[in-house]
Amino acid sequence: MSAERKKLRVDPIKPKTIVYSCPYVPPEWIAAHGFKPRRLIPLPLEGASTIPRIEGLCPYARAFGNDAAACGDMAGIVLTTMCDQMRRLFDLLVRRVDVPVFLLNVPSTWQTPAAQRLYQEELKRLGRFLVRLGGHRLEGQELENTMSQYEVMWELSEVFPERSSCQTLSESVVAPSMLGHRTTRPRSDSRSVPGVPIGVIGGPLMQRDRVLFDVIRDCGACIDFDGTETGGRGKCHLDLWYVRKDYWRELMEAYFRIPDPARRPNSEFYQWLRQELKGSAVRGLVLHHYVWCDKWHAEFARMKEWIQLPMLRLDSEGEGELDSPRVRNRISAFVETLR
Amino acid sequence: MSGTPRQITLQQWDREYDRLRAAGLSEPVYGGPLGRHVADGDTRLLKLRYDNSPAALRLWNFLLTEEDRLRAARHSGKKLVGTMKDLGTVPVMAYSLDNLVAFYPDGAWWIPCVMERNAGLLQIADTLGIDESFCPVRAMLGAFVTGAHFPIPDLLTCSVGATCDDFSAIAQRLSALGHPIFWWEIPHRRAPEADEKAVELPGGFSAPASLVRFVRSELERIRLLLEDLSGHTMDEETLAQGVARANQVRLILAQLRHLAFTAPLCPMPALEMLIAEMLAIHFCSDQEETIVVLQDLLAEVERRVTAGVGYLSADAARVFWVNPVADLRVMNLLEDCGGRVCGTEYLFAHALDPIPTDLPPMEALARMALADPMVGSAADRATRIVADIRRFGTEAVIVSRIPGASHCALEGEIIGEIVRAECGLPVLEIEVPSLTDATQATLRTRLEALVEIVKEKK
Repeated sequence: MSAERKKLRVDPIKPKTIVYSCPYVPPEWIAAHGFKPRRLIPLPLEGASTIPRIEGLCPYARAFGNDAAACGDMAGIVLTTMCDQMRRLFDLLVRRVDVPVFLLNVPSTWQTPAAQRLYQEELKRLGRFLVRLGGHRLEGQELENTMSQYEVMWELSEVFPERSSCQTLSESVVAPSMLGHRTTRPRSDSRSVPGVPIGVIGGPLMQRDRVLFDVIRDCGACIDFDGTETGGRGKCHLDLWYVRKDYWRELMEAYFRIPDPARRPNSEFYQWLRQELKGSAVRGLVLHHYVWCDKWHAEFARMKEWIQLPMLRLDSEGEGELDSPRVRNRISAFVETLR
Repeated sequence: MSGTPRQITLQQWDREYDRLRAAGLSEPVYGGPLGRHVADGDTRLLKLRYDNSPAALRLWNFLLTEEDRLRAARHSGKKLVGTMKDLGTVPVMAYSLDNLVAFYPDGAWWIPCVMERNAGLLQIADTLGIDESFCPVRAMLGAFVTGAHFPIPDLLTCSVGATCDDFSAIAQRLSALGHPIFWWEIPHRRAPEADEKAVELPGGFSAPASLVRFVRSELERIRLLLEDLSGHTMDEETLAQGVARANQVRLILAQLRHLAFTAPLCPMPALEMLIAEMLAIHFCSDQEETIVVLQDLLAEVERRVTAGVGYLSADAARVFWVNPVADLRVMNLLEDCGGRVCGTEYLFAHALDPIPTDLPPMEALARMALADPMVGSAADRATRIVADIRRFGTEAVIVSRIPGASHCALEGEIIGEIVRAECGLPVLEIEVPSLTDATQATLRTRLEALVEIVKEKK
């Protein structure tokens, strides 16, 4: 059955939610069409069975699929092609859930005008998808206003980092009361908390795996830099001056340039990392990835050569093991070597 | 021409070779006894069984001498293009120009099998941070480091986008080791929407015209690059001639596959058929010779079909095989268990379909590239598999997982679901690592169970 032909389960009174998976989906774009964007960061749910446990399947992709399938109040799901497993999850969700699912084609390459145009066209296609789901066509300054509101929220999140996460921020403009109700993201705390300053980098973290930040602090370190996808790296900052000048272009360019190791070449990611580490007090870097995540796993050795700092690689199966004595022991030993 | 078809060991082949030579066997320059390749380290050959025809001998010798051909090409002044991941598109362009030779460094994924891990390529990949959680194609990294298995190409291209994460990550690691790569984008193939202009692709799928235009623009970038490397212009006529030669290979393979998969008795074993199909993607570094090798094999198959001779019995379980195997020995194993391959989808179906000749060549190649099974959905793959199952009269499906490959985690589930629903056939998923010796008994049991189920249903 085509994703488009699926029957919608939209309650006309409740705001319609669009669940999405990836920072390359601009929540402003979804919100401007009249939906509540929700970057779904899986818990994951216990006992979920839409996607069975399969050898080789990324735990995050599986948890996202199961949690998305269990969402009752959504109008649609948006996935992207940035990760092969998520791209293939789309195939499965289309067959297993009864809401429309959209796959946003995000090019891996970024240096050519053609790749940039492809991303732009894909955003427009997403817009048409949202209109077909009952969203409204954009008129006048609607997008510009939404973008400005979002940027204000992002800036607030810098001031009150403990009150923000990618998920809460993506929802905050259409549901401001959400802000501050989910506070799982660790704050950047090297200036206020004693301890060895370290950075954390990697893909997205499931909600319960954010305990990693607490474990690191418990082991005597402080987080100077959060480069996870669900942390600082996944937040897209818009320049309000450019928003006023050409909001569409600013939206497209800002999101297309989010640094990620899956881009080819991924030199921009390393430039971003260099910039982030420049002037920071970071003495070591923890790289976390879920098992079967090739794009992060493959970067560890190169990153280690490149940043010339001690690094610790942690992989996990999404079973809550980041709080295990074994992981605590490894982090503790790592921090000890940095003192 | 050969006598009764039978599978023989390497030692038996060498004796048979002496007999054929004495009888006046005429051979190409790369000919010789198969046993000599073991001295090069290809020890897995000792554990395989081979078709006993001179055509199969030529096929194997052609395959196992590719490195020599690449070095000879470089020595003669030709430029080498390492075309990674696209499995069949860029080589058609490269071979349009006389002084370019294209090959897939990806092919190194079979080295740990053929050399039984003695080459140490996987260990080198381990030291570079690419461990066993990645697909065996990581052996390619080791091959670049040692430079012992193929000459380092003058140009490297790699398609990314809708490809597997393993390969993309490994290629990025390769780039970081100092091998510049020209990245080109192959976007995910999606169905056209109601308001979009649709374009038909080889293989029966369709895509939005805008996506085809995009791929065409990517291929235009590659055309410029190849022209630069070659020093010659790749005009439409030159490219059309290249397309025609590629189609010649595809036409022979289509006849070969049809006969091999539909004949009452299996006329050619699965292993030789797998190697033959592989020739389509880059012609084993010699396009003209590929045509001759395949013509020989086709003639042998035609002779056997006409004579009503072949392998196994007429009630052998007719199996459709999905994905290439990392250990070649598993193809022998299926036949040991009473099954024969009657239909394949080795991830390069787009390299087997005829390239349209009623279109400008670049447009035709862009459509072909988008027909790649890897860039579309698993449901698309399943649709094509179902069509081929009906065409070849297949009775069961084996989805052979590649260890660590990002596409293998979920696709088997979807393909199995669709095949069961559409055809009501049994589907078996197995995982095939580079060497299956340790799991041979388990694999055999699973394959035997599948064959028994098929035979019970007959």
